[in-house]
Amino acid sequence: MADLLRAASLLAACCILLPAADGSDSPGLALLKASCSHCHGGPEPQGGFLLSSLTEGPEPDSLERWKKSLEFVRAEVMPPVQGGRLPPAHRRQLVAFLRKEVHRRSGGAGASPAAPMRRLNNRELAHSIRDVLMIEDVGTHQPMSGLVGDTLQDGFDTIGDALGMSQFHLEQYIEAFRKIVGATVLPGDRPSSRQYRVAAGDMRMTSLSQQRRPARANRTAESIDFLDPRLRVYFANFERAPATGKYRIRVRATGKDRGVYETAETGIYDGDPIRLRIHLGDRTRTFDLPDEAQTEIELEEWIAAGTRLELSYPTDGLRLRGNGNFKFQYSIAHDHLQEADPALYEAVLRDRLPRAPARTAKNPRHWSHWTEQWQGPRPRLFSAEIEGPLYDAWPPKRQVALLGTAPAAGDAAKILRPIAERAWRREVLDGELDPIVELVQALAGDHATQEGHVRALREGIVAVLASPAFLLVNSDQGAASDRFASKFSYFLRGTLPDRHIREAARDGRLEGFAAVLDEVRRRISRSEAEEFLREFPHAWLELDRINFMAPDPDRFPLYSRKRLSEDMVAEVLRFFRHAVESNVPVPELLSANYTFVNADLARVYGVSGVPQDSQLRRYTFTGGRRGGMLGMGAFLTLTADSLSTSPIHRAVFVLEKFLGIRPAPPPADVEIAEPDVRQARTIKETLAAHTSEPTCASCHAGIDPYGYAFENFDPVGAWREQYTMHVAPRPSRSALREIEVEDRERAAKGLPPVEKPWENEPIRVDSSSRFPGGPEYRDITEYRRHLLSEENRERFIRCFIEKLLTYANGVEPTESAALDEIVAKSQENGFRIVETIAAVVDSPLFRDEQVRN
Amino acid sequence: MAVNRRVVLKGIGGALTLPLLETSEAATARPPMRFLVVGNPLGMHPEHFFPAEFGTRFMLPTTLRSLEWVRDRLTIVSHSDHGMNNGHGREISFLNGVLPEHSSAYAEKNVSVDQLMARRTQGRVRFPSVHAALGSGIRMSWTANGIDLKPFTDPHKLFDHLFLNLTAQEKAVRREMIARNRSVLDAVGDQLAGLKRRASRGDRVRIDQYATSVRELETSFAEREGWIDRDKPKFDISGHFADSETTIRNRYDAIFDMVGYAFETDLTRVATVAFPNELSYTDIEGVTRGYHACTHNGKKEEVIAELVAIESFQVEQLSRCLRKLDSVQEPGTDGTLLDHTMVLFGSGMGYGGTHSNRNLPILVAGGGFRHRGHVDARAGNGGNLPLCNLYVTLLQRFGVERERFSTSTGAFELHHG
Repeated sequence: MADLLRAASLLAACCILLPAADGSDSPGLALLKASCSHCHGGPEPQGGFLLSSLTEGPEPDSLERWKKSLEFVRAEVMPPVQGGRLPPAHRRQLVAFLRKEVHRRSGGAGASPAAPMRRLNNRELAHSIRDVLMIEDVGTHQPMSGLVGDTLQDGFDTIGDALGMSQFHLEQYIEAFRKIVGATVLPGDRPSSRQYRVAAGDMRMTSLSQQRRPARANRTAESIDFLDPRLRVYFANFERAPATGKYRIRVRATGKDRGVYETAETGIYDGDPIRLRIHLGDRTRTFDLPDEAQTEIELEEWIAAGTRLELSYPTDGLRLRGNGNFKFQYSIAHDHLQEADPALYEAVLRDRLPRAPARTAKNPRHWSHWTEQWQGPRPRLFSAEIEGPLYDAWPPKRQVALLGTAPAAGDAAKILRPIAERAWRREVLDGELDPIVELVQALAGDHATQEGHVRALREGIVAVLASPAFLLVNSDQGAASDRFASKFSYFLRGTLPDRHIREAARDGRLEGFAAVLDEVRRRISRSEAEEFLREFPHAWLELDRINFMAPDPDRFPLYSRKRLSEDMVAEVLRFFRHAVESNVPVPELLSANYTFVNADLARVYGVSGVPQDSQLRRYTFTGGRRGGMLGMGAFLTLTADSLSTSPIHRAVFVLEKFLGIRPAPPPADVEIAEPDVRQARTIKETLAAHTSEPTCASCHAGIDPYGYAFENFDPVGAWREQYTMHVAPRPSRSALREIEVEDRERAAKGLPPVEKPWENEPIRVDSSSRFPGGPEYRDITEYRRHLLSEENRERFIRCFIEKLLTYANGVEPTESAALDEIVAKSQENGFRIVETIAAVVDSPLFRDEQVRN
Repeated sequence: MAVNRRVVLKGIGGALTLPLLETSEAATARPPMRFLVVGNPLGMHPEHFFPAEFGTRFMLPTTLRSLEWVRDRLTIVSHSDHGMNNGHGREISFLNGVLPEHSSAYAEKNVSVDQLMARRTQGRVRFPSVHAALGSGIRMSWTANGIDLKPFTDPHKLFDHLFLNLTAQEKAVRREMIARNRSVLDAVGDQLAGLKRRASRGDRVRIDQYATSVRELETSFAEREGWIDRDKPKFDISGHFADSETTIRNRYDAIFDMVGYAFETDLTRVATVAFPNELSYTDIEGVTRGYHACTHNGKKEEVIAELVAIESFQVEQLSRCLRKLDSVQEPGTDGTLLDHTMVLFGSGMGYGGTHSNRNLPILVAGGGFRHRGHVDARAGNGGNLPLCNLYVTLLQRFGVERERFSTSTGAFELHHG
């Protein structure tokens, strides 16, 4: 097995020698032999791969080789340019032949693997429980925090093979379900409600250190101000909710001192309102505060017993000075007062310096002198009131909706059936509920009180949720219409199907492309595809990896200090949302000359005239360098190292994410040289081995050209004309004289001279290259033009469709006629993105029926 | 015999009282063997890890300098690996030699060597294995079901898990909870049978996995029930958190002390401690960059220095742990706890800077082996040693009688006694 895998990864070419049974080859086969046999025959075939191997061995393995061949020929990696270019007509013929072979060998559409049964991933699990119990979310007591995390595969959290199940999962599930149900169904007497008045004096700051020393806070008798945005405020007389129920929370607050200090110093834009965030466990609510005017925020929330109530100041600013710790920002007060109020400035110094320790007394600018003068933008809190727990009725309506008013264990079957039907996403079979009903009745016993009945039924709900019928999706149980409704719902909404979709599917109202398109449109317009709009681009582009190799904090300080990765991810999601909501053609994701930027991203992208705030707005670029996904900071950063960029990583990203080509990893026995940035070498020179070493060249000739064009973008995605090598500051003249002397001495001993990093000249970026088997390009603008050629556009559409199917099915689709049909359907509709999504949903590959039957 | 065991005066806990052993086995049978793995996901800067000389008369390179005192009880293995392709993501095969995606080709899937040992101690000790890291795990330890075990990432939670005794009321609640969980499992178990009967072949695999989970959880409940009433050993880690600032150093100190004491009191015999990539190491003198960023240093000296500082920190932690283990007399023997603990330090990645998964940094200490110093493990044909060969040796020493493990081709020569 391992050997076969290795062999497959070594495969770098398209080829096989097929004996023609009747002595004459079909035109496609003849072309294949003519184009490939020269290099891939004989005792030492190129890429270590022998032609005839395609027809050897068991079908699944040779099929893999056929697919790989198709991939390489389609990607124009093979045949290589060196052997003379293959005329486009021939290439098309060869691709058609290979595709036909692949289809034939994989037995048409049916061979695409069925969506494998898998467990729900954690986000689907949370949404599903929410909808089974008909509540707003799983609760504020973080009931799911103990769950084992999901393993991502190529960014996707829906991959069947990666979502295993173990006793650890099961135990944590049961525990989590019990907590969630426990905060929804409340046995016993109605807890009494009371009012909590929180004066400014009752408000406390959390502390970052382990000691329980209260953090510094600017407070008066009437108010408390946020300083360090990492700290939160809590209420000493209401730290945690005493009982589960609804609470009415009122907070009086104002925004203070917006715009007193310069944005350049605080990192906070004048255009952004000062905000206040209320944390109830994982649930947060955020409010804009008016400037210098007290306002009252009011909210009503269902809160689980034990939930901490905290307030915070959400901002990505106040981290620019010193090492980013808040205390260093106080020196902004120094700089400001020195200019704005010299009298006060002098007074503070007269007051502080004599009392300061010797170490800081010498430095008037030291932060410790200015803590009392802080006028940075911040929320100010005055007082709060909390009332609760409040109930709309007793038992609360949410409980009555689940169990009825006076539930009895004897009615367990009747009570649990609709809950199970929601949870299991299908009709409950006769007798299927019996073990759970028996459990409930055994727990209740013969003489249960009302509370005892409710407690027993609560365990019944836990058992319904712990059932494999709930935890495992893509099962082949139940009616076909229910299975489709389920799949559709998890695809768009990440949760179980609602009644509407199940009925529509049952009544045959979701048959055919037009009906599916209608439903997809309806869901998008009703904001019922939010999960898809967020999770799909995240998975497709592996956005979770953006900080796997974060840009160097010294060289690119803004990146970490202004949390640019959050802006970059938000940009991708905003752009994708726009694409879907405006139903643009799929290729526009790459070809767009616009994207969405805020003031932070504008600084990275070097654009001006953007409003000074954090809101993302559409911006149109001229000049053809940026716009769409190819110019996005997220892509350019997550493919770069911390100090340097890598054309290979960027090329592989473009190939895998946009063109649907998965280059083979380097053979295991290749020793990869470590990049050496001390020498003034361009990345092209470093990668010279890729064209000179035959083992490297066979693959890299097809990879690297897809990445060189991005060399004009540095590790955070900013434009550059030249590499700024690690130029050290030039030493003083006396130091230079000493070095001169030392060099003479070293020369006398036959030693090389002292390294002089400051003498490195910046080197011009060369972002030109030649596509494998295709045209040359000079820079990113020409590259982009070629990447939108008709052939590449088709690849991109196909790739996009494959990613949608991977997300939906939890397994990668393989070449098939059904896949071709989706592409054709998309084309019929001008490649518009919503129609393309609908074509995927309507496809047998999504509906899965052919495969099952 | 019992009197002999009281030679122990001062254990890792610093307590002068005799640590209460969890099991009685130590008194009746030969002293138990333990296994500790200390790992990282990014390998080691090779020039600072591998000594220049082979054999026992080697100079300890910078990263390993803190191990000078124990050099006679070390084996540093050069040229061993799992034959993996280069790149990130394959280091998770450190303790099993097999990636999850290829695990179906192996009879034992990708179960890791520590879990094979843990399985052997099941029922004899309270915790089959203990896993700890700060921040996040590095996916070192894999169950027979192909699931990576989540480590404790908060020393205080680990403390509660290992040493906190339950009140009478908590015990009652715990027992009640186990009973309730069992009845939930019973109910879904009944349902499973019907589901399985109707399932297609493809689905049956998943349902089987689910059924295995149910069965294993039931067994685990049965075992745990037996331990509820027995008190745990007493321990104190508050000393590590007395300073106003908690650093990664004192948090790792606390973790290693707890692991050592858990070994000493036979709470467990298998433990792993990981140094994840996501953790901020800036508490360490001279470190300003991220761990991963330091591996991609472009050979810049100042960045390499930061990397070596992080790696030296990891080894210092190891050294400190070894010293603790060595300060405890193993009851009924003339050796120390270290002589009865096999310690494996290493990574499933060779060196992050080159993304190499070849020539893994591997170091074995303690375990009562006749150690070999720095070993060139290459075979006669120049091929690297399959690291699983070393694991076969460790398994045998642990008392798991077997000739093969995962991708092994034999055993690594390391004798004991």
